[in-house]
Amino acid sequence: MGSRLNEPLTPRTLERPPSSVSSGPSGRNRHRVRPGLKIRTKLLLLVLSLLAIPWMGYKSVREMEKFLLDGQQQALELTTEGIASLLGNRKELFDPAVGVPEVMGRSFDVLPTELDASLSIDATPKDWVAALEDARDYTSAGSLECTVDYNPDSLAVRHGLGIHDKHVYAFFDVSDDVIIFRDPELVRLDKSDQLRLTVQVLGMDIRRYLLTARQEGRMSVYLMKTDWREPETGEALKDIAASIALTESGYAIKIRIPREVIGPRARVKFEVIDIDDAKKREIVGTISTDPDPFMHGLGQVRLMTPALAKLVEPLYISEANIRVWDRDFRLRAELGSIFPERLISSARSKRGSSWLDRLEGFSVEVYDWILRQPMGGIKDMPVDSSGEDLRILSKVITNGDRLSERRRYGNAKLIVSALPIWAEGEIQGAILIKQSGNRLLSLQYETLRRFTLLFLGVFIFLAIAILLFASRLTYRVGKLQRETEQATTPEGRLLKDRIRSGTHAADELGSLTRSVSSMLQNLAQYTRYLEKLPDTLAHEMHNPLNVVNSSLENLQYSHRELDDDKYLLRAKKGIQRLRSILTSLTEAANLKDALEQEADQFEWFDLTELVTGCVEGYQQVNPEREILSEVFPGKVQFSGVPDRLAQLLDKLIDNALRFGNKEGPILVSLKRSAYIIRLSVVNEGSTLPAHLEDRLFDPMVSSAKDAGQTHLGLGLYIVRLIAEFHGGSAIAENRKDASGVEVAVTFPRTETG
Amino acid sequence: MKIVAVVEDDADQRENYADVLAAQGYEVHDFGSKAEAQDGFREILPDLAILDIMLGEDMDGGFELCMELRNLSPNLPVIFLTARDSDADRISSQRMTAWDYITKPVSLEFLVARVHALLRIAEQLKQPESQESLISVNEMEIDEKSMSVKWRGELINLTLTEFWIVESLARRPGHVKTYDALNDVTRQGLVERNTINGYIRRIRNKFRETDRSFDRIQTVHGTGYKWAQD
Repeated sequence: MGSRLNEPLTPRTLERPPSSVSSGPSGRNRHRVRPGLKIRTKLLLLVLSLLAIPWMGYKSVREMEKFLLDGQQQALELTTEGIASLLGNRKELFDPAVGVPEVMGRSFDVLPTELDASLSIDATPKDWVAALEDARDYTSAGSLECTVDYNPDSLAVRHGLGIHDKHVYAFFDVSDDVIIFRDPELVRLDKSDQLRLTVQVLGMDIRRYLLTARQEGRMSVYLMKTDWREPETGEALKDIAASIALTESGYAIKIRIPREVIGPRARVKFEVIDIDDAKKREIVGTISTDPDPFMHGLGQVRLMTPALAKLVEPLYISEANIRVWDRDFRLRAELGSIFPERLISSARSKRGSSWLDRLEGFSVEVYDWILRQPMGGIKDMPVDSSGEDLRILSKVITNGDRLSERRRYGNAKLIVSALPIWAEGEIQGAILIKQSGNRLLSLQYETLRRFTLLFLGVFIFLAIAILLFASRLTYRVGKLQRETEQATTPEGRLLKDRIRSGTHAADELGSLTRSVSSMLQNLAQYTRYLEKLPDTLAHEMHNPLNVVNSSLENLQYSHRELDDDKYLLRAKKGIQRLRSILTSLTEAANLKDALEQEADQFEWFDLTELVTGCVEGYQQVNPEREILSEVFPGKVQFSGVPDRLAQLLDKLIDNALRFGNKEGPILVSLKRSAYIIRLSVVNEGSTLPAHLEDRLFDPMVSSAKDAGQTHLGLGLYIVRLIAEFHGGSAIAENRKDASGVEVAVTFPRTETG
Repeated sequence: MKIVAVVEDDADQRENYADVLAAQGYEVHDFGSKAEAQDGFREILPDLAILDIMLGEDMDGGFELCMELRNLSPNLPVIFLTARDSDADRISSQRMTAWDYITKPVSLEFLVARVHALLRIAEQLKQPESQESLISVNEMEIDEKSMSVKWRGELINLTLTEFWIVESLARRPGHVKTYDALNDVTRQGLVERNTINGYIRRIRNKFRETDRSFDRIQTVHGTGYKWAQD
């Protein structure tokens, strides 16, 4: 309410909290804050450099990985060498006549069944199926000449292969919706459902056998020309026996081939040709036992030698594939697989609900992301890498090179080692071992994971420790800075004479604190000395002054005729002036001590009454000047020492009387807002000199230059001391229209009266 | 002839005091140091002593002399005449039961007046109490002759200047004594308002030692003080 009743109050002055004496611009602290890194940030950056350690670790692990793979490769080479020497000089193992041939489609094809007894060509298809346990489905694979709309119901082939003594038995179970037998009137042989057999014996031409039938029963076998249309000779061959029988879904073909027809080092391919239209008789489908004729030409034959297989069997190496080839690139023995028996995935499977488990699970995911789980990488391993194998083999077998290499398929690592096998001075074959590098890496991975966990712990611990240390350091430095800043006002006046906290620390910061503290103490001592100086000076001057004074008086007593002597009067006047100077000096000097003693003499009183009374008194004493008051209408309860506030007002009025225009009024105003009480004295006259604005409230600062009067500049200093003693502050400002000066004292309100 | 002792280390001031007091008909014994004064006091005890507090190197020489005099004679008037104007010194002097405390520079005229007054009081104390000189204001009794003040029957230990101020206020209760009037009462030449305020403050404190609720001396802000009426 109060502020509304007092219109001239501007919100700016009212809402400004009473800070410490602010008599000038408060920009002096600005230089202390500069852009740049703080200690904490710097130390944190330093901690970040610790990350170089895991990076180094990662690098060294990568190196170790290389080293381990090198070791594994060497071990594999040694193994290869061992096996090669084991198989060396045993020519009989590679005798092409010995062994079980197989039409090779894929490297992992089932081996041809070795039959216990010979099969009769006239036996039922069921017997054959029973004998050739593993029949292979060749449904669509390799049906290269099929049209796009290939229908498995229209043509499908199951094929089995067996061997006994001097014969190779082949069985085809063909599902065919329309069976077209050979039309005897047609000369061309490619106009009916038929079976084609291609045999390439090393060093000889490719021979093409066509098996066809006019009806169910025995089939005719012809040696054909390249175009499969006409036979070389019109005569059917007798050594290959075959018969065809109709089945529910189509037909079955049984073939018995003497081993000498296929012969050593032969390559074989069967093709089932399907013709569905009896009139047009065009080939609508072909199913071949060779899945990729472009790659291998004719299918390769595996001549698995049981003796060799037995010999190799004990050499089982985990996650390795051992193959023995003869010099005609026929696979003679195979052992093991590069794929592990089960993929390790236990790390992910056990994930509990507690935060620790979750943390671990999370960290495992992070490791996997960083380090690539090696067992996961095995997924990238190609099932068939025979193409590359053949490339190596050709080098090994033709040049007799020893080869070893590491391959990489995505995240899968494959170590391959190949050696020629020698017998009687010539290369009989080659051994090729492939081993997955991922297992070894998975062991390394486990180690690395533990190491990483350890490192992560250490890193977090270190980071937290350094962070704490940095925070503590920053806190201490900040505290020292704050205390140092609080020790002086923005104007440079000393408020504290020591730093209280942190002086006991033994480190450099503690000693810095002590240095600053002792510096403050020295400064305080010096300041005290300076403050005491006027008092000491006054005290010292009192004695000589007293000599002069008492001497003058004695002179006057002893020479009564001098009573009205002008020189004596002037001397006395001079002494009076000197006295008043000394009195004001001591007044100011003693005020601080006196106020300290009066700190317990605060009482509640009405400031309005005090100000009104004082102004009346001033007006009486100075009738020639106009002293007005604009006082808050009502009581302003104030806690303080009334005499001191009257003293403060005295000084303000003295100041206004001295510096204001003689004819201008002096306005004393007392205002009250919700939070502050403001007492101000405004006088008309010259404005404040700019160079003094900051220092008007310091002792011995005055703008007066009048030689006839004494101006020690202690008045506003006393105002400041008393204002501060009551928790307030003093401000001197030029009036906005530069018509004069306003000196205001602001106190915080301590009660709501 | 009354003997007045003057102890002052500054020869010029000492002789000036001595001259003016001698001219007023007193026998003056002047001493320049504490040791001289001690010897002199033992030889002849003065009727009144004017002491400087600082005597040469002796910072508190005056206080020590005051103590000795107090031992020799409990009712001997002692005036401290010093350049030291701190509350601490005033309180010390009060503890020594000094009768007055004046700060330099002092007007010799006023000094002589004080000496007269104090010697008269000392004389009164030797005689039995007489009722006629008593003034009673409210609960206060003022004995003009012995220059003593009692509040509610309790003796208030005032210096001479303080007594004069209390007396001048109490003589006309309700009437405002301006600073100028009080200035005259202190008989110290021209004094600052703040000096008057200091006297009043000390007087109030002394009354409050006896009666915590003492509030008879009221401030008339900007003008002076008055003794409150009932």
